[in-house]
Amino acid sequence: MYVDILGNVKDNIYILGIESTSHTFGIGVVEYNVREKSLKIIANEYDRYVPMKGGIHPREAALHHTRTAPQVLRKALERAGIKIKNINAIAVALGPGLGPCLRVGASLARFLASYYKLKLIPVNHAVAHIEIGKYLFNFKDPLIIYVSGGNTLIAIQKNKKYRILGETLDIPLGNLFDTFTREIGLSPPYVIDGKHQIDICAEWGKEFIPLPYTVKGSDLSFSGLLTAALIQAKEYKNNKEKLGNICLSLRETAFNMLVEVAERSLVLTGKKEVLLVGGVASNKYLREKLIAMTRVHGAKYAGTPPEYAGDNGAMIALTGFLSYIYNIHIEPEKAFIRQRWRLDEVELPWLPN
Amino acid sequence: MATQLVNVFDKGAESVIIQGELLGKKIIVKYRVKKPYRHPKFDEIFRKTRTKTEAKILSELYMNKVNVPAPLIVDLKNSIIIMEHIEGQKLSDLIEYMDIEELKTTAYQLGLQTGIMHSLNIYHGDLTLANILVNKSNKKIYIIDFGLAGYSRDIEEYAIDIHLLRRSILALAPDKLDVFMEKFIKGYSESYHGNVHEVLQRVEEIRLRGRYVEERLKKKMLRDKYIE
Ligand SMILES: Nc1ncnc2c1ncn2[C@@H]1O[C@H](COP(=O)(O)OP(=O)(O)O)[C@@H](O)[C@H]1O
Ligand SMILES: [Mg+2]
Repeated sequence: MYVDILGNVKDNIYILGIESTSHTFGIGVVEYNVREKSLKIIANEYDRYVPMKGGIHPREAALHHTRTAPQVLRKALERAGIKIKNINAIAVALGPGLGPCLRVGASLARFLASYYKLKLIPVNHAVAHIEIGKYLFNFKDPLIIYVSGGNTLIAIQKNKKYRILGETLDIPLGNLFDTFTREIGLSPPYVIDGKHQIDICAEWGKEFIPLPYTVKGSDLSFSGLLTAALIQAKEYKNNKEKLGNICLSLRETAFNMLVEVAERSLVLTGKKEVLLVGGVASNKYLREKLIAMTRVHGAKYAGTPPEYAGDNGAMIALTGFLSYIYNIHIEPEKAFIRQRWRLDEVELPWLPN
Repeated sequence: MATQLVNVFDKGAESVIIQGELLGKKIIVKYRVKKPYRHPKFDEIFRKTRTKTEAKILSELYMNKVNVPAPLIVDLKNSIIIMEHIEGQKLSDLIEYMDIEELKTTAYQLGLQTGIMHSLNIYHGDLTLANILVNKSNKKIYIIDFGLAGYSRDIEEYAIDIHLLRRSILALAPDKLDVFMEKFIKGYSESYHGNVHEVLQRVEEIRLRGRYVEERLKKKMLRDKYIE
């Protein structure tokens, strides 16, 4: 599919991608195989920082990234079965994310690019989450639902950019669950065997209780919901079933809000594909609700599988490849990190008009 | 069955729209359907309250001569509203193909209508291009779909309406945004009784509220320097 742009290149193309925007340090490699004319992910290694207590401490996370970087890099190259000198370009997520964490990835990228004389490709982390989803399911023009610890938004592509149709006005959905389970003493760890604490706690509950539901057109607000749930949870500190009811209802309310605004955006835009990306894409209850919703409107649904839903290096490498074939790169000394680099600011030549 | 006599005319995000006739006039039946993704207990409450809200706001607006379909019959128990059929097409389907003059009149008309609505202390709650119908022959525009509407004196709610409209244009027809908003604001300023400037300033504030909007932070934070 990339043949038109690539013309007749003779050798395989290898792009290495570095992810370090938040809790994950990851390195991925993609290969464009000239003979098969296909793009493949050939390595996706990562190491996740898990706080001992509380939320993410940016400096602690950055320290984690610095320590694990050499090992993750070595493993990724081993898995890909290539040497650094075979790589055509280094892609790095320069934002959005946490400053200290971003700097680790950016420094490594600058070093690799300068030392091995490779092109350096800046990648927007949010764009990468979307591109890997489109790649995995061969979606061309989906309604995008991007939900993670740091983001909750609904977008479509239009005129070479991703355009936001709705987003959270306060806290992101992943952050809502993290904060709630932390405040009631269940987290960290936030995820056990791929299951979030909110889902574990919800299994203790039986009954739905009404909680604040705030949608403004296609925008969402979760802060009222969080506060109300926390107030109720304080009363039932030692009552497992009551606490379970709150977890169950919190999750139900938050997901209903998200699915409702997604549905409204789907009808507004008339898209035929719905793509769920970001860390929360691994949640099976959200997936079930979205499948039920899209079925009503006859749209195809897909969500990135856990391996590629959370932050990872493969998605950065993949987006790096798209940029590479459009000749997007920067001088290493101009690799500014951008903590607040918004999805809808990035102009992407591979998107249609 | 009633559905055999009439045809499903359209499907919204919340409802199925059926077209029919009542005393020789074209009508539509808006039926808020059950949502398979929502817990039945909540679903029931949602459909009822939104039907009730829509019926109440529609009649208030209709009585005050805002361009909305006349509400005719409300069946709360079944979450059904029967209303006047509006001859027209959704602005979301038209906007890309409108020439500049059509675009300007539509935007101006919509601004006028929105200003009247806000002057009645009513906000829409979902003012996107899919909820605006345009009649191409008489150039009239109609606002529909009031399930998320409400009464408020808080300009925040009015600003959200304009913000939602702005953003839906930005997503569907970004190159038409500037012309549209200019004429919309012209119409709005002519009919809104309150302080237009205040509302527009709030629209700007809301736009900057998005989590990763850089502009807001530029003011507060030093820009990131070169990485060492
Ligand atoms: N009074 C009406 N006259 C003509 N068409 C209508 C009318 N009301 C709704 N429609 C059509 O049905 C669609 C869905 O109606 P809407 O009230 O927006 O429901 P929803 O809440 O499900 O979005 C509209 O986009 C429009 O095309
Ligand atoms: Mg509608």
